[in-house]
Amino acid sequence: MNDKRNSASISGAGTISGGTYSRVSISGAGKVTGDIVADELRISGAGKVAGRAEVQEIVTSGSAAFASDVIADEMRVSGSARVDGQARVKELKCSGTFKVEKGVAAEYVKVSGSLRAGEDVEAEIFKASGGFRIEGLLTADKIEIKLGGRCYAKEIGGERIDVRRGGWREKGILLDGLVKLFAGGGTAALETKQIEGDEVSLEDTEAEVVRGKKVEIGPGCRIGRVEYSESLKVASDAVVKERVKV
Amino acid sequence: MNIDEEKLISKKEVLEETGISYGQLYRWKRKGLIPESWFVRRSTFTGQETFFPRDKIIERIEQIKEMKGKRPLDDLAEMITEKVNEKLQIAFDRLQELDWLDESILRVFDIDKEEKRPLSIKEALCLGAVSCVRGSTRGEERDLLKRTLEVALERNDLLDRIPDEALRLYLLRKRLSGGGISAEVSLAAVTGPGAIFDPDIQLVETVDLGEVLERIKLDLGKEPGTKSDTEDEDER
Repeated sequence: MNDKRNSASISGAGTISGGTYSRVSISGAGKVTGDIVADELRISGAGKVAGRAEVQEIVTSGSAAFASDVIADEMRVSGSARVDGQARVKELKCSGTFKVEKGVAAEYVKVSGSLRAGEDVEAEIFKASGGFRIEGLLTADKIEIKLGGRCYAKEIGGERIDVRRGGWREKGILLDGLVKLFAGGGTAALETKQIEGDEVSLEDTEAEVVRGKKVEIGPGCRIGRVEYSESLKVASDAVVKERVKV
Repeated sequence: MNIDEEKLISKKEVLEETGISYGQLYRWKRKGLIPESWFVRRSTFTGQETFFPRDKIIERIEQIKEMKGKRPLDDLAEMITEKVNEKLQIAFDRLQELDWLDESILRVFDIDKEEKRPLSIKEALCLGAVSCVRGSTRGEERDLLKRTLEVALERNDLLDRIPDEALRLYLLRKRLSGGGISAEVSLAAVTGPGAIFDPDIQLVETVDLGEVLERIKLDLGKEPGTKSDTEDEDER
């Protein structure tokens, strides 16, 4: 590795060129004009990276934009961030709004804000308590979704898939109604074409097909077809059109 | 599509026949052990279902099952698949040694000789493929081929599909005439070996992309400093 690594910091408005840095911090309005390799990148104002970013730790709290791929060990998004390529991040924590044009490949993903991905989202563990929209496949060994907004993935697959009603839903019909009113009729629910997993347990989920070994269809679900190989439980207010033991 | 002619097996049948779980199948897919191109999505009367080329998937799963105890999954991907490390960088000097760069190619790719910037594997693939046909093509055709490949490479799985589907780059010409005027148009396509074109089309050049990729992996990837696991043994 390069020994002579510099740090750079923009606190007003400024530009720094791409290259190898130890620490880059943007707190005003700043732009990195090319590919960047760094140990640390902090954006708390409005920051833009015009090239590819390969950084150990990325923390954004303002508005951040990456024009190409992002590769990081750790990335925390608490403002709004946008990646116009793919994001390969070992540990991704998103409490703000994160939009990725292509796919997300990670080991651990935690979404408490909102996540949008144009392609697949892959992880070992995926936890969400906010909302997400994934245009491709959501896959992880463990998928834990606590419905806190509208959630959509084209397909979902993994070992354990657990979808629970969000906190506010339990507080009763009044709050439910209020949220519905303000969210334009949309409730916190998961919508997908297909779910496949070994242990699948769902609430408030709408899916065309659910396949699994052990399947539990909980309250608020509307499922077209369930195929299971070991066991199936269906809550009384869930709708399952077809059930097949395979 | 040659995949249609092969025997397909549904995902359910794969799990049943091999005894693996959904979790394992998805995990192996994520690790790149099962290529994206093997997942064939079909609508059936029971809704969307995924199928695989039967022989390939069964063989691959048996292979993984046998090896997974001995090595970490991440290593397996590089060993048993023809996966190309996308992060591979190709040193500029290597390309010169291979005689891939002449003035006409440099112009098409807008490469500055002096800059000696390393190339990504995708860039090297474009360059290698276009360089194969530089003797028999016109300048604007080389540009067309380059742009066609670039569009194709925007798809994430294309590098994997090249060996899987034996993808080729075609250059075609077609003469159109009428009313005493005639013109020739050039067309480019990336597709498998089974492609059929209209009878008036003249096939000018075919480049086997797998061969180009193979050459890049074997000959070009060996520069000091890259993390490619090809052995550096040509210290001639």
